[in-house]
Amino acid sequence: MVEWEYNNYLMVVKVLNDFLSKLDSQCSCVLQQRIEIRKLRQGEHLILGFSIGGGIDQDPGQNPFSEDKSDKGIYVTRVTPEGPAEVAGLMMGDKVMQVNGWDMTMVTHDQARKRLTKKNEDVVRLLVTRKSLEQAVKHSMM
Amino acid sequence: MPMDRYADMEDKLRILEDLNMMYIRQIALSLQDSDIQKKIDHEIRMRDGACKLLAACSQRDQALEAAKSLLTCNTRIMAYMSELQRMKEAQVMQRVARRSDGTRSSDAGPMDDRLPCKGKVAISDLRIPLMWKDTEYFKNKGELHRCAVFCLLQVGGEIHDTDMVMVDRTLTDICFDNTIVFSEASPGFELRVELYSCCSEEDYSAGSAPRKLASKLSSSLGRSAGKKLRVAMDPGACSPTSNAGAATLLLPGPAVAGPKYHLLAHTSLSLSHVQDSFRTHDLSISGNEECSYWVPLYGSVCCRLAAQPHCMTQQMMSGCLKVKQLGGDPPSWRNVYGVLKGTNLFCYHRQEDMEANVEPAFTIAINKETRIRASEKDPHSKAQSICISNQYGGEEVTHTLSTDSREETHRWMEAFWQQFCDMSQWKQCCDDLMKIELPSPRKPALVTSKQGSLYHEIVIDTSDDISTVTDILTRRMQELELRSQLGTSPPWMSLFEESPGGPRTPRLARHSPRSPHRLPHSPLSSLRCPWPGLLSSDASLTSDSDSPCSTSPCSRHRGWAEPLSLSSPRFRPRTLSLDAKLSTLRGRGYGGVLQCSCQPPSSSSLAPIPAQCIPQATLSCSSSTSSNSSSEGSHSPSSLDGTPFSRPSSARRSLRNLRAKLDPRNWLQSQV
Repeated sequence: MVEWEYNNYLMVVKVLNDFLSKLDSQCSCVLQQRIEIRKLRQGEHLILGFSIGGGIDQDPGQNPFSEDKSDKGIYVTRVTPEGPAEVAGLMMGDKVMQVNGWDMTMVTHDQARKRLTKKNEDVVRLLVTRKSLEQAVKHSMM
Repeated sequence: MPMDRYADMEDKLRILEDLNMMYIRQIALSLQDSDIQKKIDHEIRMRDGACKLLAACSQRDQALEAAKSLLTCNTRIMAYMSELQRMKEAQVMQRVARRSDGTRSSDAGPMDDRLPCKGKVAISDLRIPLMWKDTEYFKNKGELHRCAVFCLLQVGGEIHDTDMVMVDRTLTDICFDNTIVFSEASPGFELRVELYSCCSEEDYSAGSAPRKLASKLSSSLGRSAGKKLRVAMDPGACSPTSNAGAATLLLPGPAVAGPKYHLLAHTSLSLSHVQDSFRTHDLSISGNEECSYWVPLYGSVCCRLAAQPHCMTQQMMSGCLKVKQLGGDPPSWRNVYGVLKGTNLFCYHRQEDMEANVEPAFTIAINKETRIRASEKDPHSKAQSICISNQYGGEEVTHTLSTDSREETHRWMEAFWQQFCDMSQWKQCCDDLMKIELPSPRKPALVTSKQGSLYHEIVIDTSDDISTVTDILTRRMQELELRSQLGTSPPWMSLFEESPGGPRTPRLARHSPRSPHRLPHSPLSSLRCPWPGLLSSDASLTSDSDSPCSTSPCSRHRGWAEPLSLSSPRFRPRTLSLDAKLSTLRGRGYGGVLQCSCQPPSSSSLAPIPAQCIPQATLSCSSSTSSNSSSEGSHSPSSLDGTPFSRPSSARRSLRNLRAKLDPRNWLQSQV
């Protein structure tokens, strides 16, 4: 009957609301992942083995990985196979939110690159969000 | 962080929308009506497409067109959802009524509740006069203030939009050439005409996400919709039956950055406005001069609103009749085949005559002045006869008809009553048949830039001229490819191609990153051709070897925005000086480095991104399709600072770097 359906629906909406309001970036079960990459020494360079794209000075419409085409965040555009990043679990399409505690959501491209390639750091700890995780969460709620 | 909160809200909205769709689907299922569900699904797909297009397009015209489609789709979705809700309500009410009095409600209404036939309603030649202030005409304040306008026309659940027209102060009227036909309108129809406009000068590019979302939420969730939303969120609040009507969660839809249309004026037309000629109607104007989307309207709209009820265009009844011949006793009857259509009863000798379009033997008028009655039983015949009386001049002429059986007579009477009902409802539309010109099938508007010639596309920049030309030529090739969707290359491409078969195009989906990149064989063969620098089909040398391919990425990266994946399959056309540059490049011994990175990539995850073959120049765009060689150090880690190779002129180079960095069309990638 329509009454039952509707009440059910409203209840689901309420539950969902409560759930969503609990979502925040600190909740580890949800949308973000921490990845620790140990740099690899190659000659005189320390490499991580991935490429980034994006930045507040870049045209976000050309980012093939972002869901929202106005997202000027830093995205992983390539992961070298068997490189340090792949070993650590980084995937192409991940959006980098933080690097060693530095915010990466509002930086220029060059700033982002610099934060990843500091010569005195052997390890970078990234906080990334991944679209697949979000989708999985969404689908599991349906 | 405020960013996260807004992201959450966006997610919330999206999830709620999905839930809403689920609810709608439930309703549709319970109504066993898959028709509306299919329509809703179709519109949602169209809306998603429009959103994607809006996000991806760079030209203002395209953005405006996409925003217009988006608005139309949204309106249609709302209309379908409301209709679904109404149907559900009606069903519930029926069930409640049945339950309460325990009897089955009668399906067919009493005989008097006759429904008039539907008809076609067409509106055409819409013209809205404008009233610019005289100061506008003489103001020469730089650019013209332009607005994009279009009309949305709605009858019941049918919504159509007109083409978009750009309005500036050189126009005295806004004219829409479209003819819009609504096929199933009842005589009590209400044709809602809404004029939407959008200022054509804003910057639609993404502002900060919070601001955009906040404005989206505030503008699209108006007071009443917001109230409904809040009510729905609070489950304990109201009883379901009262809510079932009010709380269709009509969510605003995905938040998209882009031009937004606003309602500028509206009016409602109905049967009384229908006429076979042009008429002027009043417009209610919303908005005022302060709004960005304001266009000074005179306040009226002229149009031609015509209606063709089905009773005028279709055969309402046909069958064999017997017409009494005047005079003679006993009266003789003549057999005819009668067809009731429009305001006439056509009587043919035989049915075949009607199908052959032969002129009828005679015609009896059935119009508002006609009186029809069933006469008493004729002692000579079994069935009742029908008397049709008309006034011709001052005289009254009566025809008497009869049929073979009682049921047949009954059916004819029914048909006549229905005709009278239709005529009384459709009023002036039944006097004469109004002409409706069916609109010719419209070709989808090719959204091209205003000036399509190569000359206009070229931006002359002294240091970049060659690369710009090749860049533009590549883009043209891509456009040609888009349109032809075949592998055939334009005729002039053969000048540049090596392999006789022409390069085969790797077609790769944009989002299948792990699929192996299949390259055609031609790139390898190209290594042996006079252009040794070309690595893969994706790679291309810019004119200046020192250039960090400042213009090439923009043509490549544009490929991302296009639905067909164009991984720039062809070699870029070269010019003589390019050739010269290349030979100097080769002479400098870069050939070795280049060749090592030209191995055909076996597994590349980023097909659309071009390989940048000039190592030192790839500083900004260093992702390459060959995954093996590039990462290990044969390419320097891309940074605009360090480079192992010498450059002829570092000053020019740094200028190019700067330009590459500042060029908003680039999407730089750096290897770390």
